[in-house]
Amino acid sequence: MSDASLAGLAAGIRARRISPVEAVERCLARIRKWDSRLHAFIRLDEEGALEAARSLEADAAAGRWRGPLHGVPLGFKDLCHLHGLPTSCGTRMPEYFVSAQECSAARRLLDAGAISLGKLNMTELAMGAYGDNVHHGDVDNPWLAGHAAGGSSSGSAAGIAAGFFAGAVGSDTGGSIRLPAGCCGVVGLKPTYGRVSRAGAMVLSWSMDHLGPLAWTARDAALMLKVMAGRDPADATASRRAVPDYAAGLEGGISGVRLGLPENYFFEGVDEEIAAGVRQAARRLDGLGARVSEIRLPDPRAITDVAMLITRAEASTIHARVFRERPQDLQPMVRARLQVGFGISAYDYLQALRLRAKLTRAFVREVFAEVDVLLTPVIPESPPALAALKTATVDEFNTRAGRFSRLTRPFNGLGLPAISVPCGFTAAGLPLGFQAVGRPFDESLLLRLGHTYQEAAGWHHRRPAGC
Amino acid sequence: MTESRRHQVELANMAGIIERLAGELALGEEPARFIAALEGLGLGEDEEEVEAPRDE
Repeated sequence: MSDASLAGLAAGIRARRISPVEAVERCLARIRKWDSRLHAFIRLDEEGALEAARSLEADAAAGRWRGPLHGVPLGFKDLCHLHGLPTSCGTRMPEYFVSAQECSAARRLLDAGAISLGKLNMTELAMGAYGDNVHHGDVDNPWLAGHAAGGSSSGSAAGIAAGFFAGAVGSDTGGSIRLPAGCCGVVGLKPTYGRVSRAGAMVLSWSMDHLGPLAWTARDAALMLKVMAGRDPADATASRRAVPDYAAGLEGGISGVRLGLPENYFFEGVDEEIAAGVRQAARRLDGLGARVSEIRLPDPRAITDVAMLITRAEASTIHARVFRERPQDLQPMVRARLQVGFGISAYDYLQALRLRAKLTRAFVREVFAEVDVLLTPVIPESPPALAALKTATVDEFNTRAGRFSRLTRPFNGLGLPAISVPCGFTAAGLPLGFQAVGRPFDESLLLRLGHTYQEAAGWHHRRPAGC
Repeated sequence: MTESRRHQVELANMAGIIERLAGELALGEEPARFIAALEGLGLGEDEEEVEAPRDE
């Protein structure tokens, strides 16, 4: 394990090969050099990070270890509220989200010894698939300048790829962890609905929001998830299930694991290069002991439509005040999406919630009787050029963004755990990735599959040349 | 098409989808059964131990 990974860095600090202050200074040097291009940060907290690092260094010298992430620098999407730093949620208002409650997931990471480098760029109100932001700068793709980093957790993914921090917290309502992870060539995990508390994070859609880790490797994500997950009195939807030691199970291999490649929907209209990359990854997983087969799924368009309706109604309800009082402060694309939500009837919203329950039961029973994991592409097309997005009308932009998240959104509706794992590069040099989806609360298998693949394929040893 | 007209069309499309899908919903179906499905059909079922309230 190299110090570039979260696991390697944590081990290096524990072995006293590197100090927390050195770790932070390394990150800051890279941020100073490259973030004027990438725009991964909304608020970099140099002083706070160095102060925390000095304190953790003193603790380490005295043999006081705070937890498994002692001295590890992390970044937090700027919808995670932490006392002492404003939470803009990607809007032009620095303190858009004020909360007495800190983000439980972020706080747990910090209590486990992690250091906050600051708050990360995101699409305004987490409503967007590309990572563009007129207020804080478009997040650039570390692998190919001028291309989208994916959204909405754009700064989280781009910053990991650029080596700005060892891991980050993102949120995912329709794909906002997995899309940027796929665009930036890092691992992103949307856990099962309820696995990680959402308390203290801005709500976009309480029925669809998930918090999860983004990191360089599946092992790093496993270490973060173990700390982030678990019951939380501040979030009634947080599950009371015990949290497994995800990292402990990583070396078990995938022999006999039944992998399903969907026959319908997930490969339709997908760029040939992307589809070929996922099928190539499936062949490699087959060679590692998995049993790959094709599977016909219950039509995912139904749950996608249901999820979209629920998200729109809830987002408009939550963000009604800014829409009504300061509409000029919102990007036109965000305004347009909120506007539609106000027109959804209570009847349609409640029917959608009832349908979600039925569709989820049917999907889980039908699909996971045949396979253990589904394997799909994450994004249907390569990250587009940012300049091309800028010339689109509001309508064109939102239609394209809807298509971009069509492979991830079904699993927000179904609440199933889904991980994005890098699996190569396009001819142009942009990352390829696959999405693996499991049974409810089976994050362990997804992380083990991701780890097994990464160890065999080795794509994670490559770093962007431009930064 | 005006913005307002586009929104009306989008809303009508969404309402049409719900009407089509909801036709066969059972009377007993309700939103909380979503969480029940995840918890009931998920892997393993062990709960964290929770401290019992202490008598003061």
